[in-house]
Amino acid sequence: MTRKLTLLILLLIPIAVFAQEDERPLVTLNQVKSGMMLLKTNHQGVYVVAPTVETDVKLQVRGLVLRGEVRQTFRNPESTCAEAIYAFPLPEDAAVDRLQMTVGTRVIEGEIKERKEAQVVYEQARSEGKKASLLTQERPNLFTVSIANIGSGEEVVVTIDYQQNVDYRDGVFRLRFPMTIAPRYIPGQPNGTKQSVGWSVDTDQVPDASRVTPPVNMPGSGRENRLRLSVDLDSGVSLRRVDSSYQKVVTAVVSGSRYNVTLAGGDVPADRDFELVWQPDLGNEPKAAMFTEQSGSNTYALLMLMPPKASTGVRLPKESIFIVDTSGSMAGTSLSEAKNALQLALDRLSPQDRFNVIEFNSMTHVLFNQPQQASPDVVARAKKWVDGLVSTGGTEMLPALQAALLNQSPGDGVVRQVVFMTDGGVGNEEQLLTFIRTNLGQSRLFTVGIGSAPNSHFMRSAARFGRGTFTYIGSVTEVQEKMTALFEKLENPVLTNVQLHLDDPRAEMWPQRIPDLYVGEPVVVAVRFSSPTGRVTASGKLGDHQWNDVQSLQVTGSESGVGKLWARRKIEALTDTGGDVHQQIVELGLDHHLVTEFTSLVAVDHTPSGAPQQTCETRAVPVNLPLGWGGIEGSLPTTATPAPLEMLIGIVLLAIAAVIAVRS
Amino acid sequence: MKKRLVLVGSLAIAGLMLFGNGMWLYAKAQLAQVLLERAWARTLHGEQGVKPWRWADTWPIARLQFPRQRRSYIVLAGASGRNLAFGPGHVDGTAAPEQIGNCVISAHRDTQFAVLREVNIGDEIVLQTRGGTTIRYRVRDRRVVRDRDTSLLEASSHRVLTLITCYPFDAIRPGGHLRYVVVATAV
Repeated sequence: MTRKLTLLILLLIPIAVFAQEDERPLVTLNQVKSGMMLLKTNHQGVYVVAPTVETDVKLQVRGLVLRGEVRQTFRNPESTCAEAIYAFPLPEDAAVDRLQMTVGTRVIEGEIKERKEAQVVYEQARSEGKKASLLTQERPNLFTVSIANIGSGEEVVVTIDYQQNVDYRDGVFRLRFPMTIAPRYIPGQPNGTKQSVGWSVDTDQVPDASRVTPPVNMPGSGRENRLRLSVDLDSGVSLRRVDSSYQKVVTAVVSGSRYNVTLAGGDVPADRDFELVWQPDLGNEPKAAMFTEQSGSNTYALLMLMPPKASTGVRLPKESIFIVDTSGSMAGTSLSEAKNALQLALDRLSPQDRFNVIEFNSMTHVLFNQPQQASPDVVARAKKWVDGLVSTGGTEMLPALQAALLNQSPGDGVVRQVVFMTDGGVGNEEQLLTFIRTNLGQSRLFTVGIGSAPNSHFMRSAARFGRGTFTYIGSVTEVQEKMTALFEKLENPVLTNVQLHLDDPRAEMWPQRIPDLYVGEPVVVAVRFSSPTGRVTASGKLGDHQWNDVQSLQVTGSESGVGKLWARRKIEALTDTGGDVHQQIVELGLDHHLVTEFTSLVAVDHTPSGAPQQTCETRAVPVNLPLGWGGIEGSLPTTATPAPLEMLIGIVLLAIAAVIAVRS
Repeated sequence: MKKRLVLVGSLAIAGLMLFGNGMWLYAKAQLAQVLLERAWARTLHGEQGVKPWRWADTWPIARLQFPRQRRSYIVLAGASGRNLAFGPGHVDGTAAPEQIGNCVISAHRDTQFAVLREVNIGDEIVLQTRGGTTIRYRVRDRRVVRDRDTSLLEASSHRVLTLITCYPFDAIRPGGHLRYVVVATAV
């Protein structure tokens, strides 16, 4: 029962807020727009009617460059006109550059504008009864599309395009496409506002909480978002394998290095990430690649260099801190994945290492007061403790990171590694990332994303700020393989102080400071050249060795969209500085037609939509719960004691005893 | 004769034990509330996560008052079976008592929430939060649902108080599939 209850908790993630003495007036009724996800007290089991969405995703891969088209079809089943608001995920490094709205036979292209201006244009159109759509970025991996004035029974199609570079590590290429947003934990105090239709009110720690907490399709509600997906893959080299990690797919060879991959059975419930992995034939692994795009007088390039694999050096003593998320959102398969991964990590410790384990939910618990020497009995104790962990409560991540990163004293020559296992289901990413950036010290942070729909933006950024790597574990069967790959990174020397020098003096390269590289990771930079010729000189420090490489620049292929990838990387690097980069980002967004934190795409259909609009209700389009969340049915608490039954039986027994005693 | 004595004796002992155990469950519910009152007083003075007894794995998070019925209970964090033996439990994952949203509290039908059968539509329910503020609710709805109906736990953008207990109130056997629900909204 306790277990079922725990699972239930998953259905709704808490906002851990403890009101202060001076309780401020919060959202008042007239601030609340009608049609929000309300508790239907009088109509049990009846859910708010909301527009439905169907998604069709087409991904095209050419070498390192991916172009994605996401087609969302919204239908309004209501008898009145509706405004649909849909929060949906995209890959965290997506450069979103196009919004297209299709109404009947009319196709309207979206224009890029500063976020506030786009909002004004949209609201104006909405109030005039015109069809309009607005695409805004809430997080690098979370976007909102709003569609105004969908008439009763009408259908509006919104098409969103993005570019991304595919990930190449450990000799395999991979792409991920997220399908849903796991309900996120929102820490902090309510700040008295509710800007949007999400289930959470805004808080001091997450001032846009209501924008990033879309309502969910409750299990048993009969509502479900479905998605189709296909990949047109041409990696340019012959492949050993093409595999989908979590879904069944149908793969067809089109020609040579070109494949067509579609989800088996057409549409699937949009409840977990899609991952496609492809591996070049032995000996065909790329050592260097450059994809370019000519745009005016500039040439943009995506440049990849593979450093040589290092021989394992002397094993330095380590201090390993493992953090495991045991919040309610981890219940079920996620927690078993995390526990398995953690047990493997503990087994891998050698006696000269020191370690500690931290678990957190609403509270943070540290296993040992001080990191302990990993002697067999101490490790055995830790393993037993890990085995007994249960998931419950909120996701208060900051205290756990504080426990891991503050007061570090690993000692000279000791490598300090923090391995952080979580689904990243939080809304206060910025606060946490800032903490990691300022308090990392001598540690390196390695994130392990657990579950079917982890918050990839948080995972990847935390690893970037933590100068470590990120790993995803999407199912229990992956634990062994993925953790082994991570251990290899932890145990092999790191390539540090990586420098790239280009002959072109006017070349602008992003990121400007190349991160430390772990074994199997390539250098990937985006460059704007005046002329993409000459040489590239690379250097770095690998353990005690110096790495030097000089190559002449050779164009592997020419792909449109590379310029946008360059702008996207520049935006990411600017955002990472944490400085006042608003204006620079706005300019990049406008120049490259990109949706950013501060620029949005807006499309307005100026054709009058017939009848004057009466009341148009604002509706949130719910997202699916990630796989493993709604899979097990919830139940209300059991609320009867066995006391009456026991007492009744007790009395009956006493009565029988009395009768027998009297009759004898 | 001796056989009969053994029979009477063992029946009597078994009967007493069962009866005693049942009584103990009720006594525990009563006793716990006394200790909880003390922990609550300290909580109101600003202490966080005050454990009512040393080995407790829960703490008081609100006081629930039924003015017309003249009853008052301390609500514990979490509605696990163990917590419910001591007092009403706040269902994890639903809005905290201080917070705007749907705050769900459950308790046993035969201990604290026996009071729910006397609660009528329009009655007042008062929730005192850790900050000391009181939030007044008015009962809007009472109904019986199946235990699978988790829609009751859905989030809300208003202050809603949902009280859940087992149904029917007089059932002898525990573990039924019906729940009695009282829904109140903030005044």
